[in-house]
Amino acid sequence: MKKHLLCAVLLASSTAFAQGFTPTRPVELVVHTGPGGGSDVLARAMVIMLEKEKLLPVRAQVTNKPGGGGVVAAAYLAEKKGETHTIGIFTGVWLTNPLTSNEAKVSLKDLTPIARLLLEPAVIAVKADAPYKTLGDFVNAAKQKPGELKQSGGSITSRDNVVRQQLQKATGTRWQFISFPGGGERIAALLGGHVNMMVIEPNEAGEHIRAGNMRVLAQVNETRLAAFPNVPTLKEAGFNVTPVPQVRGVVAPPGIPRENVAYWEGVFKKLSQTESWKKYVEDNQFEDAYQNAAELTKFYEEFSNQMRGILQEAGVKTVR
Amino acid sequence: MDVLAGLMQGFGVALQPLNLLWCFVGVVLGTVIGVMPGLGPPATIAMLLPLTFLMNPASAIIMLAGIYYGAKYGGSTTSILLNVPGESASVATCIDGYEMAKKGRAGAALGIAAIASFIAGTVGVLGLMLIAPPLARVSLAFSSPEYFALMALGLAMVVLLGGESMVKALLATLVGLWLAGIGTDLFSQTSRFTFGRMELLSGIDFVVVAIGIFAIGEVLANMHERGGAQAIPVPRGVRNLLPTMQDMKDSRFAFVNGSVIGFFIGVLPGAGSTIASFISYGVEKAVSKHPEKFGHGAVEGVAAPEGANNSETGGALVPMLTLGIPGSGTTAVLLAALVLWGFKPGPLFISENPAMFWGLVASMYIGNVMLLILNLPLVPLFAQVLRAPVYVLYPVILGISVVGVYSTSGSLFDVWLLAGFGLLGYLMRKLDFPSAPLVLGLVLGGAMERALRQSLMMSDGHLSILVSRPVSAVMLSLAVLILLIPLFGKFNAWRLKALK
Repeated sequence: MKKHLLCAVLLASSTAFAQGFTPTRPVELVVHTGPGGGSDVLARAMVIMLEKEKLLPVRAQVTNKPGGGGVVAAAYLAEKKGETHTIGIFTGVWLTNPLTSNEAKVSLKDLTPIARLLLEPAVIAVKADAPYKTLGDFVNAAKQKPGELKQSGGSITSRDNVVRQQLQKATGTRWQFISFPGGGERIAALLGGHVNMMVIEPNEAGEHIRAGNMRVLAQVNETRLAAFPNVPTLKEAGFNVTPVPQVRGVVAPPGIPRENVAYWEGVFKKLSQTESWKKYVEDNQFEDAYQNAAELTKFYEEFSNQMRGILQEAGVKTVR
Repeated sequence: MDVLAGLMQGFGVALQPLNLLWCFVGVVLGTVIGVMPGLGPPATIAMLLPLTFLMNPASAIIMLAGIYYGAKYGGSTTSILLNVPGESASVATCIDGYEMAKKGRAGAALGIAAIASFIAGTVGVLGLMLIAPPLARVSLAFSSPEYFALMALGLAMVVLLGGESMVKALLATLVGLWLAGIGTDLFSQTSRFTFGRMELLSGIDFVVVAIGIFAIGEVLANMHERGGAQAIPVPRGVRNLLPTMQDMKDSRFAFVNGSVIGFFIGVLPGAGSTIASFISYGVEKAVSKHPEKFGHGAVEGVAAPEGANNSETGGALVPMLTLGIPGSGTTAVLLAALVLWGFKPGPLFISENPAMFWGLVASMYIGNVMLLILNLPLVPLFAQVLRAPVYVLYPVILGISVVGVYSTSGSLFDVWLLAGFGLLGYLMRKLDFPSAPLVLGLVLGGAMERALRQSLMMSDGHLSILVSRPVSAVMLSLAVLILLIPLFGKFNAWRLKALK
């Protein structure tokens, strides 16, 4: 391991003076979820696209480093200081978890930013036979019975809960948030009528709407999604709430040469312009949101500050 | 939907030579990764995803599903032979499987495991084919209070798994529950018992504990024996290596029990095959005419959990295919694969892609037959492993354990944990603490705590939610009944007899 690291450092310093950088051995793509998780699926789709579009001269392989909501994967990347053939896919939790967890010593800010790739919108859904036709109906019902309505979602630092906190604050209402570890359980709880509302990915909701099981009240996005032309965004529905995006992008270990950063930036810039990528983004109803390393650094700061405020208001203990 | 017409269409798809080949490739791969501890079906399927883009989707799903259920066949092998659970679903198989092996009946145990897997696997597919859509709707009525009751029922099985001393069994359970509590709390995002270690943030992997306590603990305890441990006897002749008619007769009920319990628990998105196998083991022992044989090499103790973890596969595909809801790691990857191929898994998936669904169902019937034909001849072969002298066998077990644990997480920290739990397993054997209750506490603890807290959030803090819902009330009453068994003198005598 140490030897490996030494090699990597030597390699890094030797290439630092070279004209450019080209990978010479398989590239490792680190994700923080197990197989089947959001980033894992994106990474595997990316491997296929990079190959198809011939953007990498070498193979790329996915390494799963699950644990602590990104903490383990971030630490793994930090350990690989100077390693030029390893990159990782981050999400917003890589920034939020260090805010609440003492153990999360490595944050996105300790890694080398490469590019932001995606923003993932969401929609607010209820069961098809629920009495709420608009988000306003739901909020009014919550006002009449404070704390009785329920929302299913992930952990309290997840976007699901952030949306709830923002809406509660904007309307002075309160409803329960029930955490479920698996996405399947969250949907099952809604469809079974055990909870009243959930924040869900548009694609997942789409199928349940088509089958007549679900209704969408609002979109957590700045603009309307193509698949939901008649559903208002939060702002259009009359709620003054800035949607917090679910973000995904690419980072590299700390201390890599500038040429290396430029190389990766170039690869992902090119990837984001390919037809395969555009189709992937469209199929999944994501939002193309490429930003280069410099812009991404600014985004970190804004995102962290926004999240810290929201979490503190939610009564979550922040440590950083 | 006309089942017969669908099935005909399905066999039309599955019997195409290319699809037969992919089905075979899938089940062989599944068996191999099932035999090896560590690398499980989700990781294997994820690695093969790029390859599937070169195939047509029906062939691809047939192959990937083959890996999924094929792995359940292979999983029992190391549990029975080496006391190393290949995956969490085969921990329950260790209890009686390894005891059978120690008595020279490894072949019979492996054979029964294969037969139980075949029967239950087929029943699982039958269930998937016949009652999937209505069952998926019924399963939605099952929520946190019911999950809590189900876990409580599972935990009550401690009474049946424990050794002579109920106090020791309960202490071991408590340690298991405590281990389950380590990690980041889902509801408050607070870390518990992590001692500042990042590696503990997501808790301790169940497989590390199971392999440590079962495999390493056993090896250490055997090495401690004065004069060296006895080699495990392996009878000669293929005939003596296969299950007898008596074994088959004894396992009749276990086949049914495993098939049914496994399937229904599999349908629930929040349960899983480990819980299914433990509950089916407990039920088998509770209704057995000779419960005293359990834990000492009862053939039903292998048939029931092995059956349960195979029919669970059919069950787990129900919510995935009918609602687009994944209930386990493997179904999550399969679902992701469907999306990547351009499908839209959800409530309309089956009706819009009948060839895919029925092709898959038909291929699972074929695949289970292939697995039986593939696995039975391997039984005498695998049984020969035990002929190795202990000074070869034990280092091999230690090696497999370490590699298995390291290959799942790639973390040396987990290897140290493995060593620690090995030592704990050794001490527990020396002090006569039963290890099954600890493992049970660990399996059920996390899910049980979550279900309880979710229930209380749903009811705004009123415990009545647990008993006011009929399904949960029935299961909780059953749990109480089981727990009361030791309190009644008459039953206690039966229980003590059971443990002798």
